[in-house]
Amino acid sequence: MDQTALVDDDPPVVRVREFVKRYSKLTAADGVSLDIRRGEIYGLIGPDGAGKSSLMKAIAGVLSFEGGSVEVFGQTIDSEAAAEKVKGRLGFMPQGLGLNLYPELSVEENIDFFAELREVTPVLLAERKRKLLAMTRLDRFLDRPMKQLSGGMKQKLGLVCTLIHEPDLIILDEPTTGVDPVSRRDFWTILTQLLRERSVTALVSTAYMDEAERFQRLSLMFGGLVVAKGAPEVILHDVPGTLVELTIAAQVEALVRLEKRFTQVEAVGSKIKVFVPDVTPQAASAQIQELLIGMEIEQIQVEEPSFEDAFIALLQRRHLARKEEDSSVGKVWRDGEPPLGDGIAIVARELTSDFDHFRAVDRVSFEVRQGEIFGLLGANGAGKTTVIKMLTGIRPPTGGAGTVAGADMRRASQSVKERIGYVSQAFSLYQDMKVQENLRLFARIYGVPGRQISERIDRVVQLAGLGSVYNQLVGKLPMGIRQRLALACALVHGPLVLFLDEPTSGVDPIGRRRFWKILVHLARVEHVAILLTTHYMSEAEHCDHLALMHAGKVIADDTPAALKTALEQEAGQVLDLAAEPVLSALEALEQAGFVDAALFGRRIHLLIKDVDEATSRIGACLSERNILLLDITPRAPSLEDVFVHRILQQERQEAPP
Amino acid sequence: MNNDWSILCARLSFWFSRLMAMTTKELIQFGRDILLLFAIVYLFVFDTYMAGNVTMQLNKAIVTVHDADHSAASRELIYRFRPPYFKLGGEVLDNYAGQRLLDQGRALVVLNIPSDFAHDITKGKSVDVQVQVDASNTVLGFLASSYTTQIIGQYSYDQALARLGVNEQALENVPTVRNEYRVWYNPNQKDAWFMPISELLVVITIMGIMLPAAAAVREKERGTIEQLMVSPLTPIQILLSKVIAMTLVILLGTAVSLFLVLHGIFAVPMKGSLVLFFAVTTLYIFTTAGLGLYIATLSRNLAQAALLAILVLMPMIFLSGAWTPPEAMPMGLRQAMYISPLYYFIEMAYAILLKGAGLDILWDSLLGLALIGGLIFGFGVWRFRRQFE
Repeated sequence: MDQTALVDDDPPVVRVREFVKRYSKLTAADGVSLDIRRGEIYGLIGPDGAGKSSLMKAIAGVLSFEGGSVEVFGQTIDSEAAAEKVKGRLGFMPQGLGLNLYPELSVEENIDFFAELREVTPVLLAERKRKLLAMTRLDRFLDRPMKQLSGGMKQKLGLVCTLIHEPDLIILDEPTTGVDPVSRRDFWTILTQLLRERSVTALVSTAYMDEAERFQRLSLMFGGLVVAKGAPEVILHDVPGTLVELTIAAQVEALVRLEKRFTQVEAVGSKIKVFVPDVTPQAASAQIQELLIGMEIEQIQVEEPSFEDAFIALLQRRHLARKEEDSSVGKVWRDGEPPLGDGIAIVARELTSDFDHFRAVDRVSFEVRQGEIFGLLGANGAGKTTVIKMLTGIRPPTGGAGTVAGADMRRASQSVKERIGYVSQAFSLYQDMKVQENLRLFARIYGVPGRQISERIDRVVQLAGLGSVYNQLVGKLPMGIRQRLALACALVHGPLVLFLDEPTSGVDPIGRRRFWKILVHLARVEHVAILLTTHYMSEAEHCDHLALMHAGKVIADDTPAALKTALEQEAGQVLDLAAEPVLSALEALEQAGFVDAALFGRRIHLLIKDVDEATSRIGACLSERNILLLDITPRAPSLEDVFVHRILQQERQEAPP
Repeated sequence: MNNDWSILCARLSFWFSRLMAMTTKELIQFGRDILLLFAIVYLFVFDTYMAGNVTMQLNKAIVTVHDADHSAASRELIYRFRPPYFKLGGEVLDNYAGQRLLDQGRALVVLNIPSDFAHDITKGKSVDVQVQVDASNTVLGFLASSYTTQIIGQYSYDQALARLGVNEQALENVPTVRNEYRVWYNPNQKDAWFMPISELLVVITIMGIMLPAAAAVREKERGTIEQLMVSPLTPIQILLSKVIAMTLVILLGTAVSLFLVLHGIFAVPMKGSLVLFFAVTTLYIFTTAGLGLYIATLSRNLAQAALLAILVLMPMIFLSGAWTPPEAMPMGLRQAMYISPLYYFIEMAYAILLKGAGLDILWDSLLGLALIGGLIFGFGVWRFRRQFE
């Protein structure tokens, strides 16, 4: 913080004014202005299609634009020649895991290639390589071809290659998308250390709202516009309000009442979260209790609103949230079929799948009950999609057994296919067909009798709120609506079991909440069993039951609350502290024996059993080194903490002694 | 027993209902693809129309003359080079200028008439005229030299008769052999019959491979195949729906081309059974669709599929007799023609349309096409199914 304050008078490294980028008819960025100061980590946060990539490419000098001005290091980027002048001083890492690297080349060959490209002398190269590789802990994998690295390692290698010529400005386009929480944490720590050391300026984009606090300043983007900008706490401060969390038995009824009054109401697992704008916590709590009068509230508490709440409130305030018809979620649309036999919808027993050289899924077992939302969590490549493929009958398992909707998946894969609905990771409906044509096609494929087709389609259209786009071509619809259409197509034959493979990646927060509302209704009211995969930790909270997957294995399997409790009992609470300078503080804590201390934006998190003892120890340790402790608060661990802890634990077990 | 029957019937009707749903989907998608629609209209209508306007004869080929004689006799010879086959391209002053025009491709024929042409003819001596022909395009060169030989021969014959003082009546007493030939099936030897049929058959081949391949590859390219794989559809239903839809499209294009362009504009006779013609065409499209599906299993995107299609198309057309008659092929290639399904199709299509041939004559070609078609389609289906496993 001091560092940025010191250089405030400097001209900004990047100055963007009224930037406009159009792709034929589509406006990707519409009047974006921002300044990036020397030495800061500047964030661009927004869902897919917000205009982040276009802006970053223009700043990197690889994309022409229609209006406004872009200045980098004082040089106006208005031609290829102008961009060429500053290219030597910047590094750009495009979106996609390892997309700028060469899969066949080894780690070292990739680095050497980039160094040669940037004309780094051999002496300098040797020194930088040693330092960067040690920092990213890639030095053990020098000879490994890039294609055999995990997602997190690819991103670290990408970072090394981007930094090898010691640029003054680095531009990283969604470096953490699709990377597991452990590697994400790792990536941020490395980035922060590197940048502080050399006072490099960084422009980083992300689609995860919960990464906001890792930036010094940021721009919230949506639909080509900057919705808000400034330091994270300033943005939060500008959207005053309180988040009220409550647990109530009659959840469905409570939701109906709350939605009449508030725009941000969400059922998360057994809880309901309501964002009450503008008022104090006490007033917010009182307002809600008044609304729910006559109902028994089991538990009610107030929390700080999250960045996502603030983002949605901002969008609503600026009327950017699409006005859409309400999906009439209250309706029972399935024909009252009783849940199957014992109420168990999916059983997986010791499922194993081998690819040519490695075991993608290793003896995975779990059960999903009718009406339950079951989440499979894990990084890219952890084996989630393979599990789904086996259960849906696309891929025969190497070993193990499973039952889906009462049918044996090994012997009766055709029956399985008829009884389930499936929404795939990438949108896989026909974009050159209309909404109704897609629905009709899938109704007929799934054997809905001719007389019932229209009625069924009407019901799912109502459920998913697709009435206004019924006759439109799918290709012209925004991402959020497409995903709801995919859901509607998967539901048109009234399945008892629904499989969703990362259904909401790339969908904006409002679209995601809308999608979840339908899922919650399906599970709670229609008793549909839902198995989904996700790498959004905030989404995992919605699930009734979670299985954490790592390297093909399930390493934890329980309800979100139980997972957190177990962690708390095993490793303690999370201590959240702010100190200045933060990097020295981290170093000091690590030396003092707090091994799992992790950098979290400008804060440090660590797991502590005895809070009081640790607080005094930390205070002493920091003051000894003249490090200023700003604040220190204990809080319950989040699912991300659980995830990171379990994976690190697993890795420590597997590591050779 | 009765119950088993009704279950079987219900299953079959579901099976067909799914197949029809997929076929409808393919047709809807086809209808939305502007580029494909344009290609279909262009190939079936305009391309065959243009082919009907091409002839295999010389059309106003340019003849340049170096006339050193400038006599009435030389002029008479020169003016025999007339349209429609030839057109006089002017005179040059010396032989080298004529040579240069040939080099530059500005004349096809250069005629050299020596300075004592008329003198020698009246003296009764024989005269040499030099004809230079640009034969870089063999067909053109061949046509030009044979036409020129004919014109000069006729001129020489007329001169000889005149010299002998033979008049019209006396000519009947001069012994000459006249060949009285009959040209069957295309009595006026109209290229406008041969060329558009040949073009139509080639277009059917191209579309027959490309459309099913494109329909199958598109599912892969856009990731929609995943949604179909988790559905109760079988691979056979997925591929059959594509073949059926694309066959319908191609049959429609063929009908439009046949009735509107071939019959309507160029008056190509349709002597044989149209039912037989369309039945043979359908069998042929299934054969090419088999190739298309196989290509689709090998390619990841449309560009790759198109490239592979060209690799398959070229030998298939080359070995079919559409561009080069079988009689002009060396023996080895002539044997190889029996494996090109297009060879059988061309034989049957000409025989049905121009000769009015029926099954009694064509059964062996039909059998050949059915065998090869069955093999290719079966192979395509097998490969297509295998990629799901």
